[in-house]
Amino acid sequence: MPKLNRFNIKIETGDSGTPGPVQFNINHHVLPFENAEGGTGPGEVFTGGFEINSFAHTLALVGPSAGRWHIRRMTVDFDCESTPPYSVNFGEVTLDDSTEVNLWQDSPIPAFDV
Amino acid sequence: MNTTNPRPAEGRRMIQAPVLSGDAYPEASDEVKIKAQPVPGGESCVFRLNRKLLAGHSWFFPSFESAAGSPLAEALFCLDDVETVLVMESMLTVTRKDKTLVDWKPLARDIGQALRRHLEGGAPALAERILQGMPSEEGIREGIQKVIDIEVNPGVAGHGGSVTLLGVRGNTVTIQMGGGCQGCSAADLTLKQGIHTAFRKAVPFVGAILDETDHSAGLNPYFS
Repeated sequence: MPKLNRFNIKIETGDSGTPGPVQFNINHHVLPFENAEGGTGPGEVFTGGFEINSFAHTLALVGPSAGRWHIRRMTVDFDCESTPPYSVNFGEVTLDDSTEVNLWQDSPIPAFDV
Repeated sequence: MNTTNPRPAEGRRMIQAPVLSGDAYPEASDEVKIKAQPVPGGESCVFRLNRKLLAGHSWFFPSFESAAGSPLAEALFCLDDVETVLVMESMLTVTRKDKTLVDWKPLARDIGQALRRHLEGGAPALAERILQGMPSEEGIREGIQKVIDIEVNPGVAGHGGSVTLLGVRGNTVTIQMGGGCQGCSAADLTLKQGIHTAFRKAVPFVGAILDETDHSAGLNPYFS
């Protein structure tokens, strides 16, 4: 597991939004994002990030405290120690007060054209 | 492999969102495009195409002899070092005989050329006799469930594990490992050397065997 220096996230909300706050779970610590911009209403785009500088045993986006949050797409940019920066795109997911969605993905396996 | 062990926040269930492939080729492209992706460790390489090789079914060729009558597999087994071939939809997985070689580029280029020649020729990927003898999904499901109940689960139960049949599509089988198997460091070995062998012996028409277990999310792995 590489040390996670920083991650940034872009969340595109679908049909059903949430008033917030937008929080993530890092190793059982629930925190708000730094540099948060935009919104999480229907059709809105939220961006934020966090300087972790630690090992992410758990990294997840926490669901809303009430209602359902339909996320159309998420992009997470990872800046880890000893690996080149990489981005992961996640597809649709719906969160509620009983769920959180995993954000961590290892760096992609190299591929080449033949 | 996901090296973290995600655990949900207190009272919350952790779910997974689908990871979108950012480097997939557009299917509409006229040109045949092939991307090779060796697995970590280098024992096999996955080839993804922007064309279907085999629609509706999948097929595993364990040897040169098994390729008789299937033009694509015949061509691939003529290449030095090809050990096994698995064809599924627009994907091909090849293992090599020489396990000490980790650089796939020379062999992957040859495989790419063979794939292009096959697609240009228009021949089917699978011998007609195989497709004609293919049992129904229900028949495959019954056979696999039987081998899970009689052979596989009694075997993994000793480690607190279990295997569940999630579904059969065509002749592609999807399973999920649970209990002590979920997150176990030996799960891949159990899957490839135990479960695959048992399934193929009991139901010879089984094609790809997909494992949908999220091993990184195991809350009670055997080695915890």
